[in-house]
Parts: sequence; C-alpha cells; structure tokens
Amino acid sequence: MLSKKLFKSISAGALVLSLGITLAYAAADDVIKARQNWMKERAKALGPMVAIMKGEAPYDAAAVKASLDAVNATWEAVKDIELFAPDSAKGETVETFAKAEIWSDPEGFKAAGEAMEKAFSNLAATTDEAGFKAAFPAVGAACGGCHEKFRRPKG
Amino acid sequence: MSCHKPDPKQAGFDPSLPSGGAPLKTPIGILYPPNLTPDTQTGIGNWSDLEFVNAMQRGISKSGQHLIPAFPYTSYAAMPVGDVLDIKAYLMSLKPVTSPKRDADIPIAFLLRRGLGLWKFLGLNTTPWKPDSSQTVAWNRGSYLVNGPGHCGECHTPRNLIMVRDESRLFAGGPHPEGQGKVPGMRSLLERSRYKDKKDLATALQFGEEFGYENMASGGMRQVQINMSKLPQSDIDAIAEYLISLK
Ligand code: HEC
Ligand code: HEC
Repeated sequence: MLSKKLFKSISAGALVLSLGITLAYAAADDVIKARQNWMKERAKALGPMVAIMKGEAPYDAAAVKASLDAVNATWEAVKDIELFAPDSAKGETVETFAKAEIWSDPEGFKAAGEAMEKAFSNLAATTDEAGFKAAFPAVGAACGGCHEKFRRPKG
Repeated sequence: MSCHKPDPKQAGFDPSLPSGGAPLKTPIGILYPPNLTPDTQTGIGNWSDLEFVNAMQRGISKSGQHLIPAFPYTSYAAMPVGDVLDIKAYLMSLKPVTSPKRDADIPIAFLLRRGLGLWKFLGLNTTPWKPDSSQTVAWNRGSYLVNGPGHCGECHTPRNLIMVRDESRLFAGGPHPEGQGKVPGMRSLLERSRYKDKKDLATALQFGEEFGYENMASGGMRQVQINMSKLPQSDIDAIAEYLISLK
C-alpha cells in the first residue's frame, strides 16, 4: 500500500541530500508539488462518496467502488515519489503547508497515515448504505486528524 | 474549552479537563492558559462570582493582574453576565485538577502586564452584544454564538501590531494567532463558492472533514469544529445563517 512507500521516503531522504544543494532544492519543489497535487487529486476522487454523505446523491454501491478505485489510482500515480522526504520541508519557489512535526514526530505521522489506510480498508469492505455511511466518517476523520497536527492552514 | 488543554507532560493529566498549562504560542511569546477546574490552590475553586465575571469579561484576574488578550476575554465581554455564570457553574461541576501555574515565557511579560491597562483601553471593545431587531431570531442567535461564546473572531479576525483584534476587519481572516499559517476569512463564503448554500455550510460546521469538507482541521479548527458539532442542530443552523450574511 502507498503509505509504506510514503514513510520509507523519510529515511530515503538522506540520499536526495547527497545530490547537492541546487538539485536538492529543485527536487524539493517537485516533491512538494507532487504531494499537494496528490492530496488534491485524491480529494477529487473522493467526490462521489462525499456527495452521498452530504445527501446530494443516492447511495450506489457501484459508484462507491468506482470512487475507491479512483482513490487507489491516485496512490498508484505517486508510488515512486518520496512524498515526505526530509529535504522537502521547505521549497524554493513553492510554498508548502507541511509542518515540521512531520519530521520531528515520525511515529505520530506514521500513525496518522496508518489510521487513514485502515479507515479506507474498512470502508472498502462495506456492502450497503448503512455500512457505508457508518464507515466513511472515519476516513474523513483520518484526513482531519493528520491535518490538525501536521498541516498549517493555507488561509 | 479548546485552548485550556492540559500539558501532556503533567503527571496523571486528563485531556478532557480544562486544567490549563498547555503552552499557547503567540507572536509575542508563549502563554500558559490558566487552570479552569475548581481546584482551590491552582484553579478557580476559591473564585467568587464577581471575580470570575471580572476575569472572563474584563481580563482582570483574581489577584488584580491584567490578563493578556490571548485569553479570549475579548469575546466573553460580549456575553450577558448570566451566561458567564452558567459557564462558571459548569466549570465548578468538574473534577478539580491541581496544575502548576506558569508565567508567560515573554521576556517583557512583566512590562506588558503593567502596560495592559493601556492596551485594553486602546483595544478592548466591552460593549455587550445586542440583538439586531431587523434580523431573524436565528440570525441573532448565530451572531451571539459567533461573537460571544464561540469566540470565532479570536482566530478569524486579524490582529493589529499590539495583538488586539482589528475590528474594522472583523472575520476577514489573516495570520494565525499562534503563527501557524493563515486563517481563512469568513466573509462572502457563498459568493466565493466555498459552500453551496446555508445547509451546506451547516453540514460543514457539524461534520467538518469527516464529511469530506476541506480546510476544517488545521490550526486549531478541528477542536473548534468538534465542539461545534455538539451544539443543538438549531444553533448550528443559526451560526450558518449568520455567517452567510457576512459580506
Ligand atoms: C498522514 C497525514 C495526512 C493525511 C492522512 C491526509 N493528509 Fe492531506 N495534507 C497533509 C499535509 C502535510 C498537507 C500539506 C502538503 C504541503 O503543502 O506540502 C496536506 C494537504 C492537503 C490538501 C491541500 C493540497 C493543496 O496544497 O492544494 C488537500 C486538499 C488534502 N490534504 C486532502 C486530504 C484528504 C481528502 C485526505 C483524506 C483522504 C487527506 N488529505 C489525508 C497530510 C495528510
Ligand atoms: C483556534 C483558532 C480558530 C477558532 C477559535 C475558530 N477557527 Fe475557524 N478556522 C481556523 C483555521 C486555522 C481554519 C482553516 C483550517 C484548515 O485550513 O484546515 C478555519 C476554518 C474555518 C472555516 C472554513 C473556511 C472556508 O474557507 O471554508 C469555517 C467556516 C470556520 N473556520 C468557522 C469557524 C467558526 C464558526 C468558529 C467559531 C465557532 C471558528 N471557526 C473558530 C481557526 C479557528
């Protein structure tokens, strides 16, 4: 699953550092852009499920499955990128909203990622409307739980 | 109560009790919020109703010291005294917790406290909240909750150079009071397509990121949103009605 890759990136970051300052900075911008884009794409992929939660669309098991597949696809797309490499704590031209706690509290950050993975797999195991509506909030709470601790607000 | 979280370093702490101590970083230094449990030594156990109202609404502590405006008395100033006493009754019903008092880690803390009378004279608007009879009952309820006990303006209204809320830019958003990024504005939420309608905003306030809404968790908002979700539906709708009227 993605988050294994994601958290491996933390230790792999040292490698990137050895490429030298200029390269590392350019790389930092790319990494930041990649993770911000990934977050955005994944939020978009959740859209059909969010619409069901808000009561804007009826429950539809096929739509839920398609939405979860789309979420998975966003993971696939970034799986080779070290999304939270330590030298991406600050960008050169791109502003990041990642907080320093990601790197000072790697255990907490890892737990936040795992909570999200667990919530997604529970959600994927649901088969009816009641199950879906009971399981979705844990996914959102996992997004919010990590943003609460590890992301600065953008304004 | 979101700010008065205990310091996890304190032995035997219970995070659900507002026993204070957890540091609050502000642009002028680190403040330690007071212990609001009824402990007689370090909390408010010995405070009279008058002392409590003075602290909550005018920022004057039991010992007569001026409190720094990061303590949200600027919001409580707007509440009727009866409601402030309800808060006291609630706090007195909690389990007392002894927690050491710490002075603010502000190099010029002493100076500031002495100068605070002036600071408040310049910056604190103590006019109690008044209903607007041209608006609906729900709008007024929302306005009261947002401007008074919800102290939404403590973060969503920018502060000027002396850390006093700039009321001319009420709810316009701006730098986070603890220096973490930027707080979004709460004006023109519908016009800026942040929410489709009043119901959409009310759902966002109630469920936040759990329902896939964005920008509802960072910078302290998640605790506020969780607190808000415990209000009766009519209060959440009233807050939404008031917020969408801010242009
Ligand atoms: C393990 C922590 C973590 C989890 C879980 C998480 N996020 Fe994020 N998210 C972040 C961080 C950190 C940022 C800031 C990234 C940056 O600016 O470099 C962010 C940024 C975002 C952004 C803004 C991207 C931009 O810059 O435009 C969106 C949208 C977002 N996340 C949505 C979600 C959603 C939806 C979920 C749940 C499915 C989620 N996130 C789960 C940590 C997390
Ligand atoms: C501790 C500071 C703080 C307090 C107090 C606070 N907010 Fe917030 N609020 C924030 C921050 C920071 C964000 C942005 C969060 C993010 O980006 O994840 C936010 C976001 C929001 C948003 C989303 C704005 C948008 O553009 O979609 C709304 C609505 C909101 N707050 C309403 C309120 C209300 C109503 C209250 C009072 C009951 C309140 N807030 C009190 C800090 C605060």
